Amino acid sequence: MKSQIQHIHQQLIDKTISCVDLVQEKLNLLKDNTHNTVNSLLTDVALEQAAKVDTKIANGETIGLLEGIPFGIKDVYMLQGTYATASSDLLKKYKSAYTATAIQKLLDAGAIPIVKENCDSFGHGSSSENTIFGAVKNAVNPELVGGGSSGGSAVNVAKDYTVFSIGGDTGGSVRQPAGYNNIYGLKPTYGRISRYGLMAYASSTDCVGPLAKSVEDIRIVLNAMSGKDTKDQTTYTSETIEESNILNTSDIKTVGYFKNFIESEAIDAQIKNDFLASIEKIKAKGIQVKELDFFKSDILVSTYYTLAMAETASNLSRLDGTNYGDRIDDKDLKESYAVTRSEKFSEETKRRIVGGNQVLSQGFSDEIYLKGLALRDAISENFEKDFEEVNIILSPVTPSTPPKIGDSLKDPLAMYLSDAYTVGFSLGQLPTLTVPQGTETGLQVTAAKNNDELVLKFANFLKDTI
Amino acid sequence: MSKIMTVDVLSSIKGAQPSEAVNRLFDVIKNAQTTNNNPFNNNHNNCVSLDNLRDDVVIESSTVEKQIIKDNFPKEKDGYLVVSKVIDA
Repeated sequence: MKSQIQHIHQQLIDKTISCVDLVQEKLNLLKDNTHNTVNSLLTDVALEQAAKVDTKIANGETIGLLEGIPFGIKDVYMLQGTYATASSDLLKKYKSAYTATAIQKLLDAGAIPIVKENCDSFGHGSSSENTIFGAVKNAVNPELVGGGSSGGSAVNVAKDYTVFSIGGDTGGSVRQPAGYNNIYGLKPTYGRISRYGLMAYASSTDCVGPLAKSVEDIRIVLNAMSGKDTKDQTTYTSETIEESNILNTSDIKTVGYFKNFIESEAIDAQIKNDFLASIEKIKAKGIQVKELDFFKSDILVSTYYTLAMAETASNLSRLDGTNYGDRIDDKDLKESYAVTRSEKFSEETKRRIVGGNQVLSQGFSDEIYLKGLALRDAISENFEKDFEEVNIILSPVTPSTPPKIGDSLKDPLAMYLSDAYTVGFSLGQLPTLTVPQGTETGLQVTAAKNNDELVLKFANFLKDTI
Repeated sequence: MSKIMTVDVLSSIKGAQPSEAVNRLFDVIKNAQTTNNNPFNNNHNNCVSLDNLRDDVVIESSTVEKQIIKDNFPKEKDGYLVVSKVIDA
């Protein structure tokens, strides 16, 4: 699919549509939708912004590429004056006091936020069922989950309710729902986009990520949000990725894939066959394909969840109902904390907080948490060696097709294991893009750190190859 | 006060118990073989150089920001945040 952003931009300039009509149409679609993708609509502000864009066009002024483009925001981002609920009971009435850097950059470019989108509470989930707003229903088959945790964002893009959406990816939360709903979803290199104003889940892997229907739209939005930010000192300066730089794919010579991902007993037979068929098509284009050794899936999942739970236990310790959020008062401060947290956090969130405090406590931290950190280093070293041999690593997004709504909540271990193919790249802080091709839940394209450009370039190559 | 704190106390979650599903993840880590057992010998540091630290200055919040922070108070009286009494049991 071609760039929707460019297409709509041209329509606005040509005055074949008005920005107000465009935004109103999207708001109507969101309001009427039955996929549970909406936590709150930003109707008034959005229409006001759209009217300003129309005035500018009517006055013959030039507008930027993103100006007037309606987009969605996962409900874990701050946007001043709007609700930021994290799909949680605790923050259901919380309003953002300030705006996240990534979102501010899009506002500065003129894009119009129209919706705060449903997701797993605090990013805790892989199905967007852990939410007070009702399970997100898959865009293709509403009996199946929308994926998670950025499920509402993925479904909105897939159904054309938003032109693009901004999700958050800690262990696969952009890439997996993108795969489940047949769209593109990027987890950029860690630090490329500022996390300031994104509610922290696991700070060492949290990434801001765009979801869209084309590589070109991912590129445009990525460029708009990237850059160093003094409010997030893990950010770095990156260069703009030019469209012309990702069209010529002749410098991609070698592609690798992890043998054990494909030989695993857990992989769905059809996904395996489709993945191997995609590899053959790539080989047929003269690209060398190498099988690579990697850590077992259960090690990857366990390492990721050990570190993510430790980090989320620390990050969510601030949520005690004192300064903000819903509070349940009890006999004293400590009891108020405990009762509020017990009543207002979901079962999955509590499971992760308790797990995190387990691994951080004396007697457990050496054999679990510190070992997890050591394993993470070994995983990163493994990636560094791999990228001395290959330009790109290709993998399936998920071992299986989307589960039915209701199944994931019954079996948390199965849900954790379903993240087997996404979490490793998060631990490595690598740029990884889901493309809606190759298998029923897509393919993941990964490159070395800071090489987001190569990921987009290879995605363009796949468009013409598979 | 006892030095041993259980996970429900550490987590400020009443009656919290370790979960079977999560324990199974931790068992994998316990049994994993690592060639490098030094977690501080890492290569994923996202350090900031001393020259690049942000200025150590107080930035005044905007009036809107201050008002929203107050609006978010779970309990408020005369513009102040009301909290439960602090009694260390």
